[in-house]
Amino acid sequence: MSGNGGTVRLRLYGALRQVAGSREVELPCPGVTVKQVLRDFAEAHVPRAANLLFDRQGNIWSSLIVLVNEEPVAHEGPTPVKAGDVVSVLMPLAGG
Amino acid sequence: MSAFTEEQIERYSRHIILQEVGGKGQRKLLAASVLVIGAGGLGSPVGLYLAAAGVGTIGVVDCDAVELSNLQRQVLHATPDLGQRKCLSAQATMEAINPDVTVIPHDLRLTSANALEVISGYDVVVDGADNFPTRYLVNDACVLLGTPLVHAGILRFEGQVTTVAPGRGPCYRCLYPEPPPPGMVPSCQEAGILGATAGVVGALQATEALKLLLGIGEPLIGRLLIYDALDMVFRSIKVARDPHCLVCGEAPTITELIDYEQFCGVVVGKETVS
Repeated sequence: MSGNGGTVRLRLYGALRQVAGSREVELPCPGVTVKQVLRDFAEAHVPRAANLLFDRQGNIWSSLIVLVNEEPVAHEGPTPVKAGDVVSVLMPLAGG
Repeated sequence: MSAFTEEQIERYSRHIILQEVGGKGQRKLLAASVLVIGAGGLGSPVGLYLAAAGVGTIGVVDCDAVELSNLQRQVLHATPDLGQRKCLSAQATMEAINPDVTVIPHDLRLTSANALEVISGYDVVVDGADNFPTRYLVNDACVLLGTPLVHAGILRFEGQVTTVAPGRGPCYRCLYPEPPPPGMVPSCQEAGILGATAGVVGALQATEALKLLLGIGEPLIGRLLIYDALDMVFRSIKVARDPHCLVCGEAPTITELIDYEQFCGVVVGKETVS
């Protein structure tokens, strides 16, 4: 399950999509948790996404739904992410 | 139940011919009531389709007036309606489509003080509000009353839809226990919305409401449907009830409506709720 040169796809919605300027980004697979994937995305790729993903304590906002391969996962859980996985981040939409 | 008139048989013939609807289902619709929250981007297609379908009583909650920037997507209203109360413009349009339908305009802003009274008595609620405080208020009120709720939210080219059946599946709080911090999720006013996206998502809500009233098919209970108009993809994800949910969990702490502006961190009088 460790980093093996593969990649994960990070699918973005809502304000994250706007900040990243794309609907999906491909990231080197770190072979760790969803939290690390999001941290890597924010720190290395789109610094402006950090505030949308993490609160002041560095936890993933409780208002986000994180999916690995379309299954919701716990934010702080040890869910491993492996090469080929698709991680999605959903946020609620207020618009009507 | 009263018999159909000849005009009704013709008007609803494409429904009646459906095995899943039939005359029996059409009578159910004529005897049913739905409350539509917001006569905007979502509420417009919802109101149009529910009225056309012959849902006998349709309440429309909206306290705004029709503005020019609404007309790009809010198809209940037309250019001559500019400046009119939205709930009255909606009523005129819907009753013109189908005189069988009684539209009840609620020219008010839903609050903790009036929500239970406004919502109670309706068979199904459809949420097409445009702000988080109203969305949590409507969810909590529907859970407390046990009223099914068809929720949807839209932004830019995206939409999310789910159906809350209190006691039978997760509620909006189970999905999103807390709203995002104020300012984090932009409104349609700030970030835009492709008009037809509202049409697609509102039509999905109308479909869900009709299914609930007819008791047919599989509603989006325990599922969140995500619509992505740019990729033109629908994704459905399974969502579970949260046993710790503050309103529908095993030991709920929200047993009456709370202050939703405060809950959502909205500074009253500063945050515009359009």
